[in-house]
Amino acid sequence: MPPRIPLTAHRAVSTPAVRFQIRLRRSFASTSPNAPEIYDVVCVGGGPAGLSLLAGLKASPVTNGLKVALIEGQDLQKNRLRKDAGLDSFSNRCSSLTPASVKNLQEIGAWRHANASRIQPYQEMQVWDGVSDARISFDWDTARSLGPRKPIQPTTIAYMIENMNTVSALLGRLEELGGVDIFSSTKVDSIELGTDTQQLDLSSWPILSLSNGKSLAARLLVGADGANSPVRTFAGISSRGFDYSRHGVVATLKLSGPGWDGPDHKTAYQRFLPSGPIAMLPMPGNFATLVWSTTPERAAKLKSLSPTDFVAMVNAGFRLSPTDLKYLHTLPSGQEEEIAWREKHTTVNERSLPVRVTDVQAGSAASFPLRMRHADTYTGERVALVGDAAHTIHPLAGQGLNQGQGDAAALVRTISHAVRTGQDIGSTLALESYNSERYAENNAMLGVCDKLHRLYSVESGPIVGLRSLGLRAVDALGPLKGFFMNRAAGGV
Amino acid sequence: MKASRSIRALRPVQRQSFCLAHRPTPIQNQYQSLPPATPIRRSSTNSSSANSSSANSSSTNEPPKSTVDPSEVSHFNALASSWWDPVGPSRLLHLMNPLRHTFISRCRSASPSASSTPKLRYLDVGCGGGIFAESAARLPHTASVTAIDPTPEVFKIAEAHKRRDPALTVPGKLTYINTSIEDLPLPKTPEEGYDIVSLFEVLEHVNAPGPFLEHILPHVKPGGWLVLSTIARTWTSWMVTNVMAEDVLRIVPKGTHDWGKYVNEEELRSWFKGKDGWGEMRTQGVMYVPGLGWKEVGGSEGWGNYFFAVRRAEA
Repeated sequence: MPPRIPLTAHRAVSTPAVRFQIRLRRSFASTSPNAPEIYDVVCVGGGPAGLSLLAGLKASPVTNGLKVALIEGQDLQKNRLRKDAGLDSFSNRCSSLTPASVKNLQEIGAWRHANASRIQPYQEMQVWDGVSDARISFDWDTARSLGPRKPIQPTTIAYMIENMNTVSALLGRLEELGGVDIFSSTKVDSIELGTDTQQLDLSSWPILSLSNGKSLAARLLVGADGANSPVRTFAGISSRGFDYSRHGVVATLKLSGPGWDGPDHKTAYQRFLPSGPIAMLPMPGNFATLVWSTTPERAAKLKSLSPTDFVAMVNAGFRLSPTDLKYLHTLPSGQEEEIAWREKHTTVNERSLPVRVTDVQAGSAASFPLRMRHADTYTGERVALVGDAAHTIHPLAGQGLNQGQGDAAALVRTISHAVRTGQDIGSTLALESYNSERYAENNAMLGVCDKLHRLYSVESGPIVGLRSLGLRAVDALGPLKGFFMNRAAGGV
Repeated sequence: MKASRSIRALRPVQRQSFCLAHRPTPIQNQYQSLPPATPIRRSSTNSSSANSSSANSSSTNEPPKSTVDPSEVSHFNALASSWWDPVGPSRLLHLMNPLRHTFISRCRSASPSASSTPKLRYLDVGCGGGIFAESAARLPHTASVTAIDPTPEVFKIAEAHKRRDPALTVPGKLTYINTSIEDLPLPKTPEEGYDIVSLFEVLEHVNAPGPFLEHILPHVKPGGWLVLSTIARTWTSWMVTNVMAEDVLRIVPKGTHDWGKYVNEEELRSWFKGKDGWGEMRTQGVMYVPGLGWKEVGGSEGWGNYFFAVRRAEA
């Protein structure tokens, strides 16, 4: 009897049996008479994560010989920043890029393609508890490590950038590098496993049938196709999580000034309210972007308000008590007057709050549901997931896009190692290191953000006292604060 | 290095994988032969049967210790496909494979060959299911890989797996030959030899490494490298492969490993020192650390798994 090495017992874990049962729509599309064109990497989804992956592959001499394709259902050119875009209006979809993400974008040569005048670094972060007012401020001067601050240490916590700007930079870099077959405005009609012919056995290869009639075989199929990833469905990878029953309200805000410390020292503000955090993040000039997580009802109410009432509500969100805010959301209109009256009876230290909002950019108020999702694994045979296809996170720490960039960079490293050692880049063995590197890290970040959300949903009782104590304690301890800031900055 | 032990340096005994000696479990490699229908035989302590050739050394002349169960056939077939199972019995081999390339690159960059062609030609002896051969063929600076194994079953596995990668089915890129090294035609001139001749996890199954290596040497081109990996014959390896694997953990049948056949690094060195036309030698000890994978451990060639390379002098 051959011995049964215990390792075989794990096989069931890594081989999703359901794979062969899952077929996307319209299987007739695969009956195309043409043999599929063979690619090393096919990336579905032209968002920041997918584009970063492709730029990373093409920028490296080890991997730039790979034959790669990008498939994006929308028109990629439409997602680009206009060349003549003025600094008097900003997209409402912005992200806070950590120094680690920026470093990676620099390394793959994309950062210099970004429109620098539309990027706003910030040097300080003010976070406080809307119930108890316990506060923590983050800046590199108070967050000392155990020695004196070295001049080379960064002063920037993160960079506010429109997602469109990030995407444009990556597209610009891809055009410069060339060598990517881009299928824009093209949908994936079906993904099926290939067949075994006499010459070639493609039974482990995903074959993509595209809306333009083409058929591609992927040595490695990368799902950068968002939270409802069809690639993930094809691979039979489950994604677990829940809806927070919260919506994120975003808007581009015009402020009364650039901020308390002028244009060269900008601050991000976040106040934890029981319904969710309200955050104001600095953009160039007198602009800022709003991310207000709140109940779906309140989100709908906020969006329905007149611009003046909306502006008043945002100002109130940073100033008035949760009880006041609750009442204000019940008014059909007239928030502005009501808030003006209530503010007279609320003492606040304006210097500790964001400067007042004076206007909201027309049409910029929007909302989206908040979810937390985490795929069971990021890899399968000839499949890897990056970005939102792998995980969706509560936006309170601004880590979503950064996680996607981290995924892309890690997958480039994994593919690069596989190419250097002659491995099949689609084999689960070659992809193992990507999964093990990213899964734990993302899971930790998802967990922390989820716990924070729950912690600050509590309106009264001992939890409020404890969390305030905790926040003040961290604020007082420079090194501990430095640790948190390093984590938020992406470990740079 | 007792050449007298066998005229053919072939070992008929089935062996198993475990940590240090990690050929995939169910499939006999080049120097063991066992038809799929035959249950794995407990190797006898006496090695007289080692004199038989690989073609006829199956265990049929062995007292039938295990009854031949028809289900064994299907069981064996099922296991045969596990050569390429990333979490199957050959997982340790798969994990080790990248280190082989690192070692070869290091050898080559240490002494760049003047006569070496820009694209390399490989000969992989005892290729098994093709783990190393496939990976070598995928490297951008590889011209071709010839991979040989005398066992028909693993040859079939290797051929079948090759068809799964269009990059490997390019004519001339990767050629499997179901043969032993003795039957492989010699290069007409030394220059027609191979840049890299590899011999991974094979030597420890050979009764007479000396004569066996003699068959291989002419295939290395002047300036080319013979690269191998094997296990040192020390109390550590005896402890791990014989005592732990077979007696304590019992994940390997008793008698699988013939510790006496392990070859020490210094034995290889002294053997090649006595060879004309063979010069530079390099060694790298490697160790499998659970949870971390294979790691290069300097000095461990003295007591565990190691890579060894020797370069044929330039013409």
